[in-house]
Order: sequence, then structure tokens, then C-alpha cells
Amino acid sequence: MQILFDNLQVLFQGLALGSIYALVALGFVLIIRATNVVNFAQGDFAMLGAYGMVLFFTTLAWPYWLAFGAALVAMAIFGVLFNYGVYYPLRHRSFLPVLISTLGASIFLQNTVLAVFGPQPKPLEKMLNTDGINIGGIFLDSQYLMILIVTVALVAFTYLFFEHTLLGKKLQATSQDKDMARLLGIPVALMISITFVYSAVLGGVAGVLVGPILFVSIGMGSIIALKAFAATIIGGFGDVTGAIVGGLLLGVIESLAAYHISVPYKDAYAFLALFIFLLFRPQGIFGEKVSEKA
Amino acid sequence: MRTFTAIAAVVIGAAVHLTAHAQDTIKIGLVNEATGPNAEAGVYTHNGAKLALEEINAAGGVLGKKLELKLEDNQSTNPGTVLAFSKLFGEKGIVATIGPIRSTQVQAASPTIKKAGIPTMIGGTDPSLTKVKNRWLFRGRPSDSYSSKVIADFGVNTLKKQKWAIVHSTDAFGAGGMAALTAALKEHGITPVLVQGYTNNSQDFTPVVLAIKKSGADIIGSYMTNSPDVGIFAKQLRQLGINAEWVGSPSVVTDTAMKLAGPALNGVYGIADFTPDASDESKGYSKKYRETYKQLDPDVYSSWAYDALKILALAINTAKSTDPEAIRKAVVGIKGYKGVEGTYTFDDNGDGLRGYNVVKNDAGKVSFIKHIDFKE
Repeated sequence: MQILFDNLQVLFQGLALGSIYALVALGFVLIIRATNVVNFAQGDFAMLGAYGMVLFFTTLAWPYWLAFGAALVAMAIFGVLFNYGVYYPLRHRSFLPVLISTLGASIFLQNTVLAVFGPQPKPLEKMLNTDGINIGGIFLDSQYLMILIVTVALVAFTYLFFEHTLLGKKLQATSQDKDMARLLGIPVALMISITFVYSAVLGGVAGVLVGPILFVSIGMGSIIALKAFAATIIGGFGDVTGAIVGGLLLGVIESLAAYHISVPYKDAYAFLALFIFLLFRPQGIFGEKVSEKA
Repeated sequence: MRTFTAIAAVVIGAAVHLTAHAQDTIKIGLVNEATGPNAEAGVYTHNGAKLALEEINAAGGVLGKKLELKLEDNQSTNPGTVLAFSKLFGEKGIVATIGPIRSTQVQAASPTIKKAGIPTMIGGTDPSLTKVKNRWLFRGRPSDSYSSKVIADFGVNTLKKQKWAIVHSTDAFGAGGMAALTAALKEHGITPVLVQGYTNNSQDFTPVVLAIKKSGADIIGSYMTNSPDVGIFAKQLRQLGINAEWVGSPSVVTDTAMKLAGPALNGVYGIADFTPDASDESKGYSKKYRETYKQLDPDVYSSWAYDALKILALAINTAKSTDPEAIRKAVVGIKGYKGVEGTYTFDDNGDGLRGYNVVKNDAGKVSFIKHIDFKE
């Protein structure tokens, strides 16, 4: 019986961490679809969101939800700036310059935050005032629960937004074929800007959610982004459902493998899974074959 | 004759004075974690070294010249450390260096230091670092063979616990500490019920905590490298209802770890080479540190660098030369120097300290429990 409980405990932690990977992976995928570029600063969006929370909640002592809202508004503004500073000037260039531009942005962001907030990792309050609940020996941390709930809500919102609103459909059209979208009168540049805003906000939410658990540090985004990137490949490069399933799967795989096989190789399992997918199903779980796409 | 000596003294004095102006300063390099994941520790290290530098120069410098600290960032990485040392050694006039506090970085840079033949103070506590036939490394902290002896001694003799679980990072520091603690426990006739490694920056310690639960351990001995890891582990350990005693390597009682973990680290024992109220020297140092760096508390990252620079200055002054051989001879000749971390008596391997303080986290405040020293 204890073994069952322990497995459930590990599964719970894995799902929660997987949710964070999924949120960041979702941000990855939205930008890949809109611009065809992997945004290497995606993890730093989470880092910035968490530091926004440190600023508004810890330093300025605003009420939690007000601070949360302010952090997200700040992330939205940042998304616009990121688009016009990092992507837009290079939009007509090939894949590589844009990629390097996002890499540069990542280094710039980390060092700016280092200069402003200093290098000490910072604790962050949990969303709820309670530590968690204990159900028959399984401890459900309140923050992990919130991560799961918020992720489900955001995924549902993303689905409804993209499938059932005009704006969402315009965004989809833009990501599928920019020229066609332009011919139909869709303002492509604006759509891409909105994509960056949404992606930055998603990253920010991930950062605020995970901050109380991993603590807020300059490197926090890099750790998450690497796993999130692996998740996008496992799920299917550029596939929205794939990013979510890939993220959750990765979190569960590494947690269960760490528990059952060996802890020090925890990161290795995530990348072993990636390797196996690349070998046997390079298009990922939901990905379409490249030939079909052409 | 006496007049002659006096004139000679004046002439030499003037000559020294002139050279002092001509060559200005004596330079000591500091390879420090100014950026990267450990940049927080780098701030403390720099602060400690700066404090020592001011005091040395206020007391007349070394060999009549001002001492200068030359900083080189190692980006908190092994390759960065090798690069930083190469850069310093390529520069003219660096007579000695202070290296990193991380064993893994020292290990990476050791061949470079050996090749350059420049006396280097290190803070890495992996016992093997001073036993790799590199005569230029001197340790400004007690090695883990002592930390583990102190952890084992305190846990077994003071806390009276027998069922040990060892939790360690899998890097050079953690693996070295784990091996040393296992050996130290063996001397008490104890085999740990669990030895559990993890990689740095683990986001989830649930599997580690569950393994401890299953092992039935009543005391945890830990060698963890990064403060966030300590914080995450501590929270999950207490959440999953494990109330075992915990005696850890210095990382469990650092300022940052305690701030991150909050009440989860209450009641945990740590060993520390530096404790503000362990001796008159450390009390004086702490007072000065707090006055200089208003919002920061002194900790091991700063105190070791403070001692390291003081020791190098002392050695150069004793040697009356900046020749590497002469400095080396002077360092290993230091006996009974009272630093802020303890009393330094160097052996030929370059190890100066052989004991630790045991401290306890009393609701966020570190209180001094006892100092345990070993003869060898």
C-alpha cells in the first residue's frame, strides 16, 4: 500500500513540474508557428515573470493578486518590446540570425536582471496561504495544486481562444500562411506582436507559479526551457497539443524514473526520452511528417 | 658602524620607496564567481577579499608596496575557471592567486596552476585536491575529511544516532564528501542505511525524500552544493513528514539557504568553518563586515577569502620576496596563525585547518554549538 502511495506522490510531483514544462513549451510553440523561429529566451520569460512578482509583491508589498496582475501586464508590455527589439528588425532574414538574436536577448535579460536584483536567489510566497493537504500519506503541496489548476485553465483558454474567436483564427491563419493571411486583410505584423505578448504572458505565469518551489533566480528559466524545448520535440515540433502532452509526459517520465531507477540520472531520462523520439519518431507524438507539410 | 647602518637603512629605505613608486603594487589575482549560477557567493567572496585588502594596505601593504587585487570572473563554470587562471597567469606581475571555493572548479584548474607554478589559495574542500602532487595549492579551509569526521562525531557521540542516511550532490564536492563521511562513519562502526546522490539544480527531491523514508534513517548527513537545492530538499523533507535529525555540510547554514527554506531548516545542524561568534578574531571580523556591507551578514564565502588574502600577504612579508618558491616555503611554514576561520598550521600538502564549528539553525539564527578539532 505504501508503495502505491509513494508512486502517486511521485506522479503528482511529476505532473506539476510537467505542467510548468508544458506552459513554457506552449510559449515556444506559439512563437515557432508564428515566426518559424525557436525563441531561446523563452525560459527567461518565466524568469522575468517571477522577478516581476518579486518586485511587485515582495519589494513593493502589493496585495498578491494585484501584484500577479501587474506582473502579467508587465510581461505583456515586455512581449511587445521583445517583438520589436529582437524579432521584427530581422523578420526578413533567415532562421539563423533571428535565432542568434533571441540567444543574445536571453544573455542580455539574465545579466540585466543580475544587475538590477543582484545574484541572490529569492524566495517567493505561495499563491495560497496554506502549505498543502495530506491525503492518506500523500502530501499535496498547495502550490503544486495551483500549478495544475492554472495550467488546465490556461490550456482550455488557449484552445477556446484559438478555435472559437475571430482573433484566434486570424492568429492561426497568420501562422499557417503569412502571404495568404496578408491577402485576406489580416494585419500580419500585429498578429505576430500579439503572439509574442501571449507567449510572454504564458512564460510569466509559469515563472510566478514555479517561483515559490524552485525559488527565483537568474538561471531558473534556463533549467525549465531546456526541458520545455525537449517537450516540444517529443510532442511534435510546432504542435500545440504536442507541447502540452510532451511537457506532462516529460515531467512524469523523469519523476517516475528517478524514483524507480536512480535519482542522479533524473535529467538523463528526460533526454533519453528525447533521444528515443528523435530516433524512432522524429516528428513527435502529434507532429506531421515534413513531407506532408510541404 | 652604527652611522653606516643608519645611512644604509635610509638609502635602502629610499630605494624601496622609489621602487614602490616605480612598480606601484604587488598583484594578487582573485578568480571569482562574479557571474553565472553562483554569482551570489561571488559577491561575498569579493567583499571578504576587499576587507582584507584594505586592512593589509592600511597596515603598510606587503614588502613596502601596496597590495592590489586583480579580479577575474570564472562565470561559475569549470572552463571559465581554467580560462580565468590562464588569463591571470598570462598577465605580468601576478605573484599569487586566490582560486575558487568549489572543488570541481579547483580540480579543473589544477593542471593550469601547476604548470604556471604560482602559489594559489583554494577554498574547495574535496580532500584529494591537495593530494594530487600539485605543490602550488594551499587550502584556506578545512578539508572534507575533517568536515565528515566532525559530522560523524557530532551525530554519533552528541546526538547519539546510529541509522544514517547520506544525501549528496554528485559533483566533485558532494561525491568527495560522501566518500569521506562513509569512511568517517565506518570508524564509529556504522554503515549508512542509505547513500543517495542527486544532480545539482534538481527541481524535485521527492524520490530522495521517499528513499529516506523507506530506509528508516533517524539522522541525515548531507553534502549539498547549491542553496536552492538545500531549500527545495528541506521543504519537501518536512512536508513528507520526516523529522530525522540533519547534520549537513556548510551549505545548510548559509544565509541564502536559510532565507530560501524558511522554517523547514529550523533545528538543522550544520558544520561551518566560519561562525561569527566562534572566536575573538571572527567576532571582530563580523563586526567590521556588517559595518562595511550594511545589509549582508558575514559567511564562509567572505571569511575564507579574507583569511586567504591575509595568509598570502603574511607569507610574502615573511618570505621577503615574491618568488613562488619562497612564498610556498613561507606558507607551509605558517604555524598557529589565528584567522577568522580558525587557527592555521600548514602541512606540506598545503592544508592549514583541521577542525570545524558545529552550529544550529535556531529559527533562522545560527547559534554556535561547539568547535571540534582534530590533530591530523
